Amino acid sequence: MLPYLWILLALITVSASGQTLPQTADGKPDLQGIWRAVNRASYDLENHVARDDMPAGVSVVDGGEIPYQLWATEQQLRNFENRSFEDPLRNCFLPGVPRIMAMESPFQIFQTTDHIAITFEWQQVFRLIYTNGSPPLYAGIESWMGNSRGHWEGDVLVVEVIDQNDKTWLDAAGNFHSEEILVTERYQLLDTDTIEYEATIDDPKVFTRPWTIKLELQRQTHMDGILEYQCQAEKEEASGDFERDENTWYPAPIPVDNEPFDVDASESLPLPTTLAEIPRFSDGTPDISGYFMADAGGANYGLEKHDGAILLPPSRGQVVDPADGTLPYQAWARAERIDRELPHRGYDDPTAHCFVAGVPRSHYVPAPFFILQPPGYVVVLHERMSWRRIALDDRGHLPDKIRLWQGHSVGRWEENTLVVESQNFNGKSWLNETGDVVSHMQTVVETFTPVSENQIIYRATVSDPIPYTRPWTIEMPFNRENQELLEVACLEDNVDLQHLKDVRDEYRARQIDEE
Amino acid sequence: MAHSFKLVTAILTLVVFFNNAFAHHAFAAEFDREKPVRLTGTVTEMRWANPHAWIYVDVENSNGEVVNWALETRAANNLIRLGWRPADLPVGTVLEIHGWQARNDSPTASLSAATLPDGRKLFAGTPDQPTQAE
Repeated sequence: MLPYLWILLALITVSASGQTLPQTADGKPDLQGIWRAVNRASYDLENHVARDDMPAGVSVVDGGEIPYQLWATEQQLRNFENRSFEDPLRNCFLPGVPRIMAMESPFQIFQTTDHIAITFEWQQVFRLIYTNGSPPLYAGIESWMGNSRGHWEGDVLVVEVIDQNDKTWLDAAGNFHSEEILVTERYQLLDTDTIEYEATIDDPKVFTRPWTIKLELQRQTHMDGILEYQCQAEKEEASGDFERDENTWYPAPIPVDNEPFDVDASESLPLPTTLAEIPRFSDGTPDISGYFMADAGGANYGLEKHDGAILLPPSRGQVVDPADGTLPYQAWARAERIDRELPHRGYDDPTAHCFVAGVPRSHYVPAPFFILQPPGYVVVLHERMSWRRIALDDRGHLPDKIRLWQGHSVGRWEENTLVVESQNFNGKSWLNETGDVVSHMQTVVETFTPVSENQIIYRATVSDPIPYTRPWTIEMPFNRENQELLEVACLEDNVDLQHLKDVRDEYRARQIDEE
Repeated sequence: MAHSFKLVTAILTLVVFFNNAFAHHAFAAEFDREKPVRLTGTVTEMRWANPHAWIYVDVENSNGEVVNWALETRAANNLIRLGWRPADLPVGTVLEIHGWQARNDSPTASLSAATLPDGRKLFAGTPDQPTQAE
């Protein structure tokens, strides 16, 4: 038996070209890395000539043409004519599968034995593919990106995508599907830097038979991380719907009237103690992977303790340093914090626009998150559709001019604690709905200490010389739950923003009247 | 007297927390605590959306006109994890509603409590009781 197994493994690791293919520790083809589709499929899956909004391209459809039912051919033509305003991507909506895989922006695959995560540059979308054989916990709940379950067939990763809604398109040319769509993807390494990607689309409501697209994904060897493209935020900043904060956005200077920032004032808190046995990987690294929800105690409504009121949940206060639980604001920033709580400022909270929550807020928005520990990284997938990639290889930070909502994070293990240092923030985030202030100069040091099998004690120390006089630290537990992430298509369903804008506009009109 | 005040506060806090679970925007900015509303209406639609699900109800006003109110509630994901499913709130269900109206005076409210004609509360179920009411 054993010799045959070796022959089988040898076959797996050598490609058609004779090149040795990367393999994971558990003997699977290693897909981890940064990839990008290099073709014109995202414009139109079929053969197409160039137009003002799309370059020409050759069909990636097996057999050349999509086998539409007659009525659907007519629908596709209407979609094509109206694509400049009906294409869901024009509204920055989630692209669905397989469209997301063929887009021109890069994505990063992270691989563990039980899960494969794909994190995309576009809108910080992610896919979490379960490869552990578990059935979907919420089968039948439709979403934009569907529910992905994968398994290995020899050296091919096969992923079945179910429960996609009927709102996404298959490309920018209006090729479409219904809610009956089932997608079966196949990922196969052809050589170290190429994945052959196939997706078979089965949707009897729209097509006469299942059909397949095939394209190549190329490893982006020149990139060591992907950045952010927050489509909606860029749109709203360009249109003026989301306004610049001169005090906090990059590259705002430290106000001249600020008190000096006392970097040494913060307490050195002893790390929490691991009291119980915690799960570990074979090399001894603590295993903090899985689904977690912060016991945030109302951090999203204020980091300082306050009582609840009608329409304002209470906060138990999360600040552990300074010891009195008060954030060490500069005087102007305290005034700004108080102003942000007024109704006409509710519109200014980036999360009201469905933008990414930033760090540390992404962990307490409140929505759950899923931690993965693939080789060399800790990856956090936030249900409020964003991700954080924490590199463990001491690679240093990005150039100063690269500014991100989630910042740039590097991490290391210190005994049982994951220590994460983040900078390169854009200064656009609020720390909660009541507007605790943070700027582009923030650096964040987070510690994730597993104290038992099902609990992590989380701390974040924020140093930010623009709004504060000294560093401060918050603390809260993260609790592991036997749950799965669902999707938050926030932008697609955000009907609150217009109400908040009405309140702001009415306030501004009143100010003008009074002048 | 002091005791009952405490009880009222506790219920209010619970209601407020219930209402704001999974909030993604400041409720006090969008809705007005000076404008409490009590309505009786018939469900015309429920949108199972995130970050907030919405219940739409037809409400007859004092002039006999029917106005469709939009009532904001928790995130669909939150309701799903509690065991609720779209079929649990059929069109035509009559609800008695407490909430706070939007500051822009549109027929929109933040839902604090919804009661069925037999007194059962909506969305008070647990994952073990995926029924329409407790």
